[in-house]
Amino acid sequence: MSSDLQLTKRFGIENSRNIDVARKNGAYSSLEKLFQMKPTELIDEVKKSNLKGRGGAGFPTGMKWSFVPQNTGKPVYLCVNADESEPGTFTDRYIIENDPHLLIEGIICGAWALQCHTSYIYIRGEYEKQFEMLNVALAEARKAGLVGKNILGSGFDLEIWTHRGAGAYICGEETGLIESLEGKKGQPRIKPPFPAVVGLFNCPTIVNNVKTLCHIPWIIEHGGDAFAAIGTKDSTGTNIFGVSGHINNPGYWELPFGMHVPEFLEKYAKGIKGGKLKAFIPGGSSTPVLTPEETEDLYLTYESMMAHKTFLGTGGMIILNEHTDMVRALKTLTHFYADESCGQCTPCREGTSWLDRILTRMLAGEATTRELDMMVEIADNMEGRTICALAAACAMPVRSFVTKFRPDFEKYIKPAVFAGAAVS
Amino acid sequence: MVKLTINGKEVEVPEGTNVLEACLGKGVQLEHFCYHRYLPVDGNCRTCMVELETPRGRALTIGCNTVVAEGMVVHTTSETAVRAQKSALEFLLLDHPLDCPICDKSGECYLQNHYVDHGRYEPRHVNPRYFKGDKALDIGDHIVLDAERCVLCTRCTRFLDHIPGSSELGIIRRGHEAKITTFPGKVVSNDYSGNITDVCPVGALTLKEFRFKQRVWLLKKAKSVCQGCARGCSITVEHNFNRVYRYMPRENKDLNRSWMCDDGRFSFQNLDENRLMLPMLKGKEVSVVDASTVFGQLLSSVKPTEIGAIVHGSSSLETMYQVKKLFEKIGSANAAVFIPPANGKGDKILKLPSLVSNENGARFLGMSLDSESIAKKAASGEIKMLFVIEADVLGPAVKDKYEAIKQAANLIVLSDKITETAKAANVAFPVRNFVETNGSYINATSLLQAARRAYEPENGDKILPAALLVGEIANLLGFTDQRFEDPSAVFNSISKEYGELGGVKFRKIPGRGIQLSLPPIGPLPFEGVKVDFNIFPDEYSTASQIEEAEKSQGITVDKQ
Repeated sequence: MSSDLQLTKRFGIENSRNIDVARKNGAYSSLEKLFQMKPTELIDEVKKSNLKGRGGAGFPTGMKWSFVPQNTGKPVYLCVNADESEPGTFTDRYIIENDPHLLIEGIICGAWALQCHTSYIYIRGEYEKQFEMLNVALAEARKAGLVGKNILGSGFDLEIWTHRGAGAYICGEETGLIESLEGKKGQPRIKPPFPAVVGLFNCPTIVNNVKTLCHIPWIIEHGGDAFAAIGTKDSTGTNIFGVSGHINNPGYWELPFGMHVPEFLEKYAKGIKGGKLKAFIPGGSSTPVLTPEETEDLYLTYESMMAHKTFLGTGGMIILNEHTDMVRALKTLTHFYADESCGQCTPCREGTSWLDRILTRMLAGEATTRELDMMVEIADNMEGRTICALAAACAMPVRSFVTKFRPDFEKYIKPAVFAGAAVS
Repeated sequence: MVKLTINGKEVEVPEGTNVLEACLGKGVQLEHFCYHRYLPVDGNCRTCMVELETPRGRALTIGCNTVVAEGMVVHTTSETAVRAQKSALEFLLLDHPLDCPICDKSGECYLQNHYVDHGRYEPRHVNPRYFKGDKALDIGDHIVLDAERCVLCTRCTRFLDHIPGSSELGIIRRGHEAKITTFPGKVVSNDYSGNITDVCPVGALTLKEFRFKQRVWLLKKAKSVCQGCARGCSITVEHNFNRVYRYMPRENKDLNRSWMCDDGRFSFQNLDENRLMLPMLKGKEVSVVDASTVFGQLLSSVKPTEIGAIVHGSSSLETMYQVKKLFEKIGSANAAVFIPPANGKGDKILKLPSLVSNENGARFLGMSLDSESIAKKAASGEIKMLFVIEADVLGPAVKDKYEAIKQAANLIVLSDKITETAKAANVAFPVRNFVETNGSYINATSLLQAARRAYEPENGDKILPAALLVGEIANLLGFTDQRFEDPSAVFNSISKEYGELGGVKFRKIPGRGIQLSLPPIGPLPFEGVKVDFNIFPDEYSTASQIEEAEKSQGITVDKQ
């Protein structure tokens, strides 16, 4: 049903980036209703919708907004996280390419709820074209009186700025993003205090993902209850699911939550390419990998993923077929995390590189069984011991790869010359 | 106060204390690298891991960024917490060069301590080690950087950002390639740079002035007071074989926190320079017996009322008191304290323009500060014998005003150095400097502190402290009750005489000093970290606990 589409409804329309085309097709239609709502009403509506942050952590958006302290005398900032760098994730990019005005509309809605007058869009450094597109769209919106002083005569002011990152994964972490936006080295901040209280320039700040904000106009138009009716009880609304890897039809689809994974892979992704399914990474490379057996009763919902001890994450799935060498696949991931660790916390700084170096040795046929066991232990020692979740993002795939695909790893283990050598 | 339970024991700490401080203050050992009491919390080393009991089960968290709450239950020795602490150590040691035998921090290194206490595991790391390079890199006037040993705790960068505000050091690169360095072509150059070697928990930053001079476990320590300026920072004199190897700032929350300036820190270098070891007659060295004979003849040729004295404002309270007593007994007002002009470089952190360390001591004793009038009296012949005690009144800065005393009087000098005044003296007696004897000083903020004897000079029986030598002179003049065994005994009688000290004995003067009610001298700014500090263990530990802790660190308290 096309009426169910919230994020991709204007995708495919010719010239959909243009403000006139977008407005003809319903862009900014929520604003009229928005300015008649009280900010608290909007927050309540979002709470009712049970919308969860689409950036990966899945934190309820309405609750996050309500953490902003009232009457502090300080400005409130809304930062839009468009630093989409998680391997396997590419859906924010298509929103900016196809419908930047939906994002701007979402920002206006979010800013009204938070009574914020300055918003920053922090966009990934590599998204150069998308940055230009966003700037063009912003200029159009500004000209049309949708951004700037007194938006549509409502008396509400909102300035939106775009800011390009320099290509660091860690700047997608909310406090890393704030540090980077302040002009510092992108290193996550220690919490507490949380950014909702002390954030950008020491002011209350909310960092929301692109997709999260893009849902808000629909919620305003149709109500939080209507949103909550879509999907399942805990996973409400729709999401853009992206699929990449060994798949016949890689791409992205906006679907309500709750789809059966094997059905999704057959119906939309048109089956596995080059053989049978070997491994399924559900939501970006940091989520624990699943075996084909585990995907049999897996649904695209937060709760079903939790039941399988993994996460929906960003909804960017990676499919690996039966010919994949899991050791090399994991090496690619650990290399990424070792390179992208900001170097602040000890377990992450040293652990990611240690794991990467063990895998380097393993691929060269020099590692022992003991080191294979050690990898799981190192992963355990990293997870949950750091300021941000990057250590966990590296530890989770390592632990799941090694435990679920151990035979693959054992093939690389140096054969023991004599009995004692295997354990030393 | 907040009640919480640490390892099953209920304790009480002030509100706002963090869990790490609460543990340390209650004698629970919790290792840490990045946390420093006087720097903002950064929480990057992940070593001070504790387990908290929460409604949702046990949670692992860092102690330094967790503020205590009523009824909090903390575990530092639970299996999970210990594993987290140990693993952090293993990660830190992963690429550490382990060059302890040639490392100057060896013996006071947090990594070593942590390993001895909680590590002692079989190394599991078989990968080739990653070399960060930058071994023994010269990064400033006083500082040598060894990036390989660095644990990236950022204490140094936080110190430079928040105390002197000069921010010369920063971290470049990411992940395990991250390292501390300066901006290209720039060096660490500020008046407080020595402190970054103190805050460095490992051997990454070392002092050029201390490198390869002495192993730290051989050093003996004595609590003392810096003589660099009127601030009188609390310091520890670290010495071996009658030689000072370094001054270290001693924690004193209200005075110098745990910092000291470079001028003060390196002032030990000229302690033994140009020392007066034997008495001198008109610039010629003679034996003690000869000098005493000459002095005896000179003394007997003048009447006591024709004697005058000038004491330096940096002399100890004991010396000043002895002089004051002597002249009270003689019944003349011919004694004054010499305060040289304040020509130091003051700043907004610790340094004060006045370089006199005991000016408030003179005020406390009620002594005259008009030493020029004494000089005039000497020039006019009213004073026939002038004692100049530890003051170089003929030195370049003040020469013009005091030149006349050269011709006019019998000049008797008590000095630890061969100064211009000592050279011109009829008789110059050597005395001990402040590290060789006990003494007390009242600084510009009216804080009385004790500088305790670090060691006795080699020919200690021939070189007396100025306070005792003045007593001997008084004895020659017939005032026998001014002879003392040690300057600490002089202090004890001052304490008896001046009610404000409440009869405190020298050995009981607390490490952080006694605050007196004298008005402070001059502007006393202390700017720097703009962070709320309400997290001090000494606010809830008793004095005896601090003494105990200092004893365990080898900081000795003299017997007197």
